[in-house]
Amino acid sequence: MFGVTVRHFTQADIPVRTALLRESRFQANLTDFAVVAEDDALAAGQRRTIEQEHAVKRIFTLCGPNDQVLGFAWITSIDWRSQTCELSFGVLPQYRGGFGAIAVAAAHDYLRTELNMRVVINQVLEHNTMLHSAEALAAQQRVRCPYDSYTVGQWRTSYYWTTTEDDVRQHHERTETRRREIAERIRARRTV
Amino acid sequence: MTDPTLTDAAATSAVESTRTDIRRLDPAAAAAHLRAAAEAGRGFLGLDPVTQNDVLLAAELTRMRAQVFRAGDKLLGSVPNPDQPRQAFVAATCADPEPLRILLGFLDTRQRCSSFVAMVPDGAPSAAAFESCGFRQVGVLRDHRYQAGAYQDVVVYHAESGFVASAHSEDPCSA
Repeated sequence: MFGVTVRHFTQADIPVRTALLRESRFQANLTDFAVVAEDDALAAGQRRTIEQEHAVKRIFTLCGPNDQVLGFAWITSIDWRSQTCELSFGVLPQYRGGFGAIAVAAAHDYLRTELNMRVVINQVLEHNTMLHSAEALAAQQRVRCPYDSYTVGQWRTSYYWTTTEDDVRQHHERTETRRREIAERIRARRTV
Repeated sequence: MTDPTLTDAAATSAVESTRTDIRRLDPAAAAAHLRAAAEAGRGFLGLDPVTQNDVLLAAELTRMRAQVFRAGDKLLGSVPNPDQPRQAFVAATCADPEPLRILLGFLDTRQRCSSFVAMVPDGAPSAAAFESCGFRQVGVLRDHRYQAGAYQDVVVYHAESGFVASAHSEDPCSA
């Protein structure tokens, strides 16, 4: 199992994230505002976030075991007093699949253990099944919002849900139970 | 560079005493070194490179009128207490007392500091440096910091300049 580290987004990361903002699936699944923005404007906006917007928005870089950039996570709608924020993320195309879910989990873990966020708001457009199956999305959504976003020529329905401390604890318990069950099955096979 | 006063933070990005290896860092360089210090940089002058990016660290150092010095790979810092101008909050990233003694000597003889306060995260190696330099523990701020998923205590140390001065016999920051 490899680790994903979360570090602060820097000026050196801007070209990579700008390219991601222009990627077709990113635009369909998150936002396509980058289509109508020039490179300089996109870079300026990201520099502004790095330099001035710490209280209201933060971008983080998700890195793999060799410090390679896997993608980015960013938080908005930050309410420091209520300890809540909305988390968004974009994984580079070559790392989607195996790395994506682990990278997202690392971002959640950072928000909870270092920024002391207690509730994280998630939003996924209904058609976006890169990290969540359609069934899983439908099961965990708490708010379904038709006409939430207009991307790449279509209105998109959005699902919203929150991740609380209880959710994280239950997830860890489920993971641990599953790990124990697998270990017991392997042990049982060896003794046969 | 031989500037013995080290009073103008904007004058130069790095100032070196001729008799020590302590180098003054500008806020941007200080932020980069704090990040490189990894775990030891957490809680330094109340800052945290894990939760604050370099720009924010530098802005906070500037706002606090902090002075940050580098001694090899160790960092030392001081911030004037706005309510008591003769008092400085001090910080270190290591257990070695020698660089700290140099900083305290500089603050005493060059900036007329009469007392020092250090707020050290519980368990931080720098506590040993403060104790070696004559600081005594005067209190504990329970659950004062949040880090790695838990609230942590912060230990408050205090020393008066005369007492600290007895720990070193010369002025290491003079030209």
